[in-house]
Amino acid sequence: MTTLRRPNYLLSVVAILVSVVVFLVPFAFILLTSFKDRTQAAELDFSWPRNFQFVDNLMAVIEARDYLLIIAFINSTILTVASVTIMVVLAAMVAWTLQRRSSRWNPLVNILVLSGLIMPPAVVPTIWVLQRIGLFRTMPGLIMVEVAFGLSFCILLFRAFIATIPRELDEAAIIDGASPLRLFFRVIFPLLRPVAITAILVQSVNVFNDFVNPLYFLPGEQNATVQLTLYNFYSQFNTQYNLLFTDILLVTIPPLIMFLFFNRQIVAGMTSGAVKG
Amino acid sequence: MRFRTIAAGALAAATMLAGSACSAGSLGSSDDEGGGEGGKVTLSLLVDNSEDTVRAGEQLAKDFTAKNPDITVKTETRPAGTEGDNIIKTRLSTGDMTDVFMYNSGSLFQAIAPQKNLVDVSDQAYNGQLDDNFKKTVSADGKLYGVPWGTFSAGAIMYNRAVYAKLGLQVPKTWADFMANNAKIKAAGKVAPVIQTYQETWTSQLFILGDFHNVLAAEPDFPDKYTKNQAKYGTDPAAVLGFQHLQEVHDAGYLNKDFASAKLDDGLRMLAKGEGAHYPILSGTIATIVANYPDQAKDVGLFAIPGTDAAKNGATVWTPNGLYIPQTTTGAKLDAAKKFLAFVASPDGCAAQTKASAPTGPYGVKGCTLPAEVPQVAKDLQTYIDGQGTSTLALEFLSPVKGPALEQICVEVGSGIRKAQAGAALYDEDVKKQAQQLGLEGW
Repeated sequence: MTTLRRPNYLLSVVAILVSVVVFLVPFAFILLTSFKDRTQAAELDFSWPRNFQFVDNLMAVIEARDYLLIIAFINSTILTVASVTIMVVLAAMVAWTLQRRSSRWNPLVNILVLSGLIMPPAVVPTIWVLQRIGLFRTMPGLIMVEVAFGLSFCILLFRAFIATIPRELDEAAIIDGASPLRLFFRVIFPLLRPVAITAILVQSVNVFNDFVNPLYFLPGEQNATVQLTLYNFYSQFNTQYNLLFTDILLVTIPPLIMFLFFNRQIVAGMTSGAVKG
Repeated sequence: MRFRTIAAGALAAATMLAGSACSAGSLGSSDDEGGGEGGKVTLSLLVDNSEDTVRAGEQLAKDFTAKNPDITVKTETRPAGTEGDNIIKTRLSTGDMTDVFMYNSGSLFQAIAPQKNLVDVSDQAYNGQLDDNFKKTVSADGKLYGVPWGTFSAGAIMYNRAVYAKLGLQVPKTWADFMANNAKIKAAGKVAPVIQTYQETWTSQLFILGDFHNVLAAEPDFPDKYTKNQAKYGTDPAAVLGFQHLQEVHDAGYLNKDFASAKLDDGLRMLAKGEGAHYPILSGTIATIVANYPDQAKDVGLFAIPGTDAAKNGATVWTPNGLYIPQTTTGAKLDAAKKFLAFVASPDGCAAQTKASAPTGPYGVKGCTLPAEVPQVAKDLQTYIDGQGTSTLALEFLSPVKGPALEQICVEVGSGIRKAQAGAALYDEDVKKQAQQLGLEGW
């Protein structure tokens, strides 16, 4: 076959339509519902708001439970930034050592990393451990929990990428007299940029959206994260859908902005370690 | 060079953040730890997150502090449903419970091991002021552990009074009357006679659970026999009727068209707007109608699920939630917590709850009255509870046996997938596992 394959316009149109249906329609639904009043929002249908009261909804959401949402945003930011930073730096170090220096401990470390991915976390024992070391109900405690749950994935991501970095770079740096730490931070870590961005984004969204861990490991009204504020408006018997969706809208914005800006890097980073394993 | 500074900076920033993060949420106005200084005590109170509960909690806290200036109460919320059960159990078993907390009475109360986890309040003065039915549901081994929070509710049929008035219908006392009403409503067209909402599976069980008054009227010793495995839904002629009713309304085509995919909120909307005539549901959900459709709320009334005998007509009721003190509350906080319970169990406490939001049923404290402008559903329920022998506690308060899959089985029977008799037999199997787990005799 020597003819060039012609672009399949029909397929492209279908793909675009599908992505519109899958991504934009739910978002439009959230947006529309957050504009409605309570009575119309309870109908939960796709309709034009009868009377717009977005500002009222917004104020009600922000003021709910003594401005809990603001505290929750601060908590979520601290949690996300701190745990993702620790996760990425630690994971890069572990992955580099695992990939470069083979020892008889490697299989054991690999099993531990894998078990981090496979084993489901148990709530009550984890709380016991946290209580024993005095970290239960504290932000550092929750940060460590998040780091523990996200580390395995990051290590695998980094390992695959580090395999593509030529060993000669390390050797050249060592011959020039670089210490291990210097070698890692000045030579290796900058090269990891693409995959680091992927790890940061994926884990930020994970941690920011995490619901279960903050619910159990950081109880207390003042400790709420943004995802937990959804429970201000959603309950078993009565739900204020207009406020719920306004809250969802506010909570969705930070990850959305990150994705809009770093979209290209995510895809690049995801595939960058894919071929060579 | 540049990168190193960035990396070092990031690390430093992370450590700083982690350090400063100890004070997560320190925006709050005052400190969390009450206690010593100046005899002031701060109590933490855990309530579920429904709008009315939160409002009631805040109002109770405010009115209580007005009477006891040295004690402040801070409310915390938790989700309801299974997630809430997990939170309560986790926090109790790790010794991390708030000073006072609100939770279900009845079987869920028994499931949190009250003897081990809760403070006995049998010796308190308000003991005599509480409703006897309620006391049964928050007692274990003859000791009282809680006071009522909120109001009684019924598992009954909420109906649209406007539809009834238009078609000249009477409130049915027997199942035959009820089906006759349904036939007339269907003949008149447009309005769905019976609303069912199987997207939220728990709403499917009311024809069975709410029928318990009729079961007990026919067989007064059913709960005992049921606990001892001598009576079964599949073989008992009175108990199986609930399943048959569920099948009958489906087979006669009385359900709303979207019964398989409708949700609770849809059902309440149809009822309030007169798109459906009957909705078997918990009466507490009227709060949603009052909030979402204030103009139509007066059109909604309530009657008990009718049985075979008009003379024995009556409602199956659920008791209010309970307010409990965990054993981890000690010292000055324990004294304050006991005062708070006494306040909630007094007419002042009821008044505070009424002030927060319109009550949807009678309170569990003697001497508490309902205001004049309560929803019609609450008035209808009050007549059942005041009457002689016209109300019965739900089976879950009288027997610990309740299978986890009842709602799924009800959806099957109510959608015509499984016959009533087969559904009842399947439920008996489901119950067996749970009874064996509890270690009951005779299973």
